[in-house]
Amino acid sequence: MLSDCILIVCISICTALLGEGLTWLMVYRTDKYKKLKAEVEKQSKKLEKQRETESNDRTQKKKLERQEEKLKNNSRDLSLVKMKSMFAIGFAFTALLSMFNSIFDGRVVANLPFTPISFIQGISHRNLPGEDYTHCSFIFLYILCTMSIRQNIQKILGLAPSRAASKQGTGFFTPPSQLGR
Amino acid sequence: MANHPLKKPKSDGESAQSTQSLLSKAIQPEYQWTDKDEFLDVVYWMRQIMGLILGLVWGFIPLKGFIGLALFFLVNVAIVYLYYSTFQKIDEEEYGGASEILKEGLMTSFSSFLVAWIILYSALHS
Repeated sequence: MLSDCILIVCISICTALLGEGLTWLMVYRTDKYKKLKAEVEKQSKKLEKQRETESNDRTQKKKLERQEEKLKNNSRDLSLVKMKSMFAIGFAFTALLSMFNSIFDGRVVANLPFTPISFIQGISHRNLPGEDYTHCSFIFLYILCTMSIRQNIQKILGLAPSRAASKQGTGFFTPPSQLGR
Repeated sequence: MANHPLKKPKSDGESAQSTQSLLSKAIQPEYQWTDKDEFLDVVYWMRQIMGLILGLVWGFIPLKGFIGLALFFLVNVAIVYLYYSTFQKIDEEEYGGASEILKEGLMTSFSSFLVAWIILYSALHS
């Protein structure tokens, strides 16, 4: 059981590194991405500062709105640049995951120290025989490992999106109502 | 653009040095943080280490069930709260409220905690 767990941790470290490596190859090292990222970061920080010193001046407000619009466009471009590689990597990993899934099919890789709530049982008890819901399937442990390892690797390598940019909430998937604030 | 050159990537030596300086700032009481991100980074990494340690301890004892999960959140949030409010004496409004600091890296820390807890628990007690 322990060897399975360690194997899964290793698999998720490898896939996280591979994913980041591929994204670096396709996105992060391109000049277009670097330029856009620097621009978005600069604008987000500037905007945050200006919001702190809010004034009622109409011209100021208009200026702020114009900058927000510019930032919105830039972050949309940034997300578009990222998106293509995300799709490619997504497909590759789905194939890889189904391969691992078939290797660990029906195997209990760990015992959970708690009984998961019903809608998580679908993942944690996936393809496992029996009714003991403390049995843990490959996919549950893999998802947990990936959640912690991938984020930390991104952080260590300095590839995680900056806080200022994500705080502005101007990503591609942000609903328009939020953007209009 | 000329006024704002792109950030140069840090070399290994530089990043090791910055980690060291960040650590010394983190353990210095009431340090005046000029860069907000630096303080949030400290909270983030503190949480990750705490998640791992708590997971290993919970697995070793072993703690079981809902109480283990609840206790993790309680201990994790309480330590971060005590760290920024009594050790560093940070004005939370500068960071957009207490929730911004308290939720920094919480989910990642939670998943590291779960991984450590599950692996040690099933290795020792099943």
